Amino acid sequence: MKLLVCISKTPDTTAKIAFTNGDTEFNEEGVQFIMNPYDEWYALVRALELKEAAGGSVTIINVGTSANDAVIRKGLAIGADDAVRIDADPKSSYFVAKQIAAYAADKEFDVVLTGKETIDFNGSEVGGMIAEALDMPFISYATHLEMDGNVAKITRDIEGGAEVAEVSTPFTLSASKGLAEQRIPNMKGIMMSKRKPLNVVAPVEISDPSKVVGYTLPDAKESVKLVDPENMTELVRLLHEEAKVI
Amino acid sequence: MADQYISIRNLKFLLFEHFNLTDINRLENFKDYDQESFEMALAAAKEIGDQHLFPHYQIMDKEKAYFKDGEVITHEKLIEGINAIAEGGWIGAAFPYDDGGQQMPLGLLTACQFIFHSANANISCYPFLTQGAANLIRTFGSDDLKNSYLEKMMSGEWQGTMALTEPQAGSSLSDLTSSATPTDQGHYLIEGQKIYISGGDYKDVDNVVHLLLARIKGAPAGTKGISLFVVPKHRNVNGEYISNDVTTAGIYGKMGQKGYVAAHLMLGEKEDCHGYLVGEPNNGLRYMFQMMNEARIATGLVAAGNTSAAYYAALQYANERPQGRKPGQKGTTDPVLIIEHADVRRMLLYQKAVMEGSIALLLYCSNLGDLEMYGEGAEKARAHQLFELLTPIAKSYPSEAGTHAVSYAMQCLGGAGYTDDFPVEQYYRDIRINSIYEGTTTIHGLDLLGRKVMMHGGTAFKFLIEEIQVTAKKAADHPALASNTSDLIAVAKSLHEVTIHLGKLASTESPEVFLSDATLYLDYFSLLVISWQLLGQAITASAALKNDSSETDQAFYESKLITADYFFEYELPKSRALHKRLISENRITLNLKNHHLQ
Repeated sequence: MKLLVCISKTPDTTAKIAFTNGDTEFNEEGVQFIMNPYDEWYALVRALELKEAAGGSVTIINVGTSANDAVIRKGLAIGADDAVRIDADPKSSYFVAKQIAAYAADKEFDVVLTGKETIDFNGSEVGGMIAEALDMPFISYATHLEMDGNVAKITRDIEGGAEVAEVSTPFTLSASKGLAEQRIPNMKGIMMSKRKPLNVVAPVEISDPSKVVGYTLPDAKESVKLVDPENMTELVRLLHEEAKVI
Repeated sequence: MADQYISIRNLKFLLFEHFNLTDINRLENFKDYDQESFEMALAAAKEIGDQHLFPHYQIMDKEKAYFKDGEVITHEKLIEGINAIAEGGWIGAAFPYDDGGQQMPLGLLTACQFIFHSANANISCYPFLTQGAANLIRTFGSDDLKNSYLEKMMSGEWQGTMALTEPQAGSSLSDLTSSATPTDQGHYLIEGQKIYISGGDYKDVDNVVHLLLARIKGAPAGTKGISLFVVPKHRNVNGEYISNDVTTAGIYGKMGQKGYVAAHLMLGEKEDCHGYLVGEPNNGLRYMFQMMNEARIATGLVAAGNTSAAYYAALQYANERPQGRKPGQKGTTDPVLIIEHADVRRMLLYQKAVMEGSIALLLYCSNLGDLEMYGEGAEKARAHQLFELLTPIAKSYPSEAGTHAVSYAMQCLGGAGYTDDFPVEQYYRDIRINSIYEGTTTIHGLDLLGRKVMMHGGTAFKFLIEEIQVTAKKAADHPALASNTSDLIAVAKSLHEVTIHLGKLASTESPEVFLSDATLYLDYFSLLVISWQLLGQAITASAALKNDSSETDQAFYESKLITADYFFEYELPKSRALHKRLISENRITLNLKNHHLQ
């Protein structure tokens, strides 16, 4: 089975978020980056499990500059066989999806896996757009995946419950929590990762129909006000006049 | 529970900016290790710490290990943590590729172990104890022993121990009486008792492999008649594992480290305990010193990890808890955070200095270990002597000063620190053993003064003074460090004078007089060494501040300068009192009679 796992670089959850260039770009200075957990913990690990069960190969792909190589190496250390980096600034979901689809178009991957979303933009867009561009079925928010030959039975989260779908390869899915269990790279994998191929390819020309014109941060949280438990009148007044929730 | 237990920023500063430990890849053995490998290893260790160790620290204390119906029951999270470390390839990571290791530099392994121990030494001590035991088999054992034990130990399926202490033989190993009787099948029959055996038994592990010291029947008395044996809990008979007549009589109720069992073992009660000789007969203590020296560095590291975790717990509390007002402020003003109070800052700075000085020394020593093992010529010989000289400091200072530091951490929390609502009281109980493990502080004082500074005609001590002079020379480019640098040189000179003075006492008076205050000499020596380590970091930070850096980095580098300054102002001057005592002719402890202590 030939598997392609799309990985993104996201700020560590403790990173302080700030913008630059007239609030149109994320300021990366001093930010610690990690592999997007949905890509790493669920999409990549499930792909490795499928390969371990049925043979084949796992390729990871990323759109970004050489600054992303450390994140890509981690994917190789966890167990991917090789990696591809499309050497371009990942300007938007559309741009990323089109680049990946252009690379994958003639490679005959059986399954393309993404995380259900990145933990920075939370867009959940790339998987669907890749599937569309490759003319593949797309199953989102997968929490369970079993393969029987070339037929996959996939459980996915829906509002208030779960849905089970069947689909034949090739297809694209986005991975949710539960699809696999995280693997921390071991030392052997770390040392092997440097010997695995990381192929850098040039991007294709893409005309992006949209662009970001500005970011804003949410309002800062206000400090806590302590109210004497005997003073319910004051609590009601604060909820009514200041919080405006009653 | 606190949010933080370690500063990865500080570790990276020490590894990459200060010591430049990636330079070790100039040696053939480490050629595969570049900065990316270092960074990936640190990140993997931190993930294990965050997910499998730190979250279980307090629960393993509250639900401590216990002995029931002949079995040792440990917390369910223990085996999960051991497996995470083992599956990560950390047991024996420094072993050669051919022995299943990754040829990892000790400098890097020490940094990663520091992460594990800071997160939860009640788990991390088990696999690294196994590593030490496996390394003994790897270094001195026969191929048969290696083939039988190494793989299972490095995979974490089998626990390894060091079985030395007996009821009548603790610090004095020459008094041990466990016996080994040769058989015509090649193995020995072991009889005796071993006490305080860390990791000595627990239900969730398949086998326990004791690296055990015993005396072969007819062997000479004293240390020259001690041999080393592999004694498994279960032995292999035609592919089936049967009991090897190693019985656990119980585990000790300890003040701390309640997740890390210390067992009392009975060997050969049915005259059926097989032991397998490691190396040559009567060389056991020499072999065991390899594991003991590794364990001494490991003990310092566990203590430094405890200090780190307690410091960050105290720092978090000090940044969140408003209490009292500064002197001169009116009672009607809002209370200030306790970090605003000068004395709280003093206590936090003490903890920070002890932790940063200790881990720097431990990394420095680990790098010496790499050079000693894989370096060449003069560099190798120098590293060997410096490593030997500094081992008593690297073990004892983090343990002794760390205990004081964690006490200060508790003090920062006030009454809350004494309760089990916060983790600091546990850190305080857990760290205390490190001054006792692997040779008490007294033993290390005797080792330092009686052996290490005097060995090879004092060349190791001379090498250390040369290293301190190199640091002082570098400091010349940083005028703000001039005063501290001259203090360091003055203390080095004073310590040298004291060393000569004490050395003369061995012949003019007696060995007992010479060594009577060896622990104070160790304290004096430690103050010099830690000051040297902190000044070195201040030089690196001062140089970095001359370059453009982010606000966060600037604050970090400034903190290095302040920490060193604190230590030189508050701690190093204590060497004067030690100096006075060490040259005094008043033999108080030797002259008193037992009945004077009542």
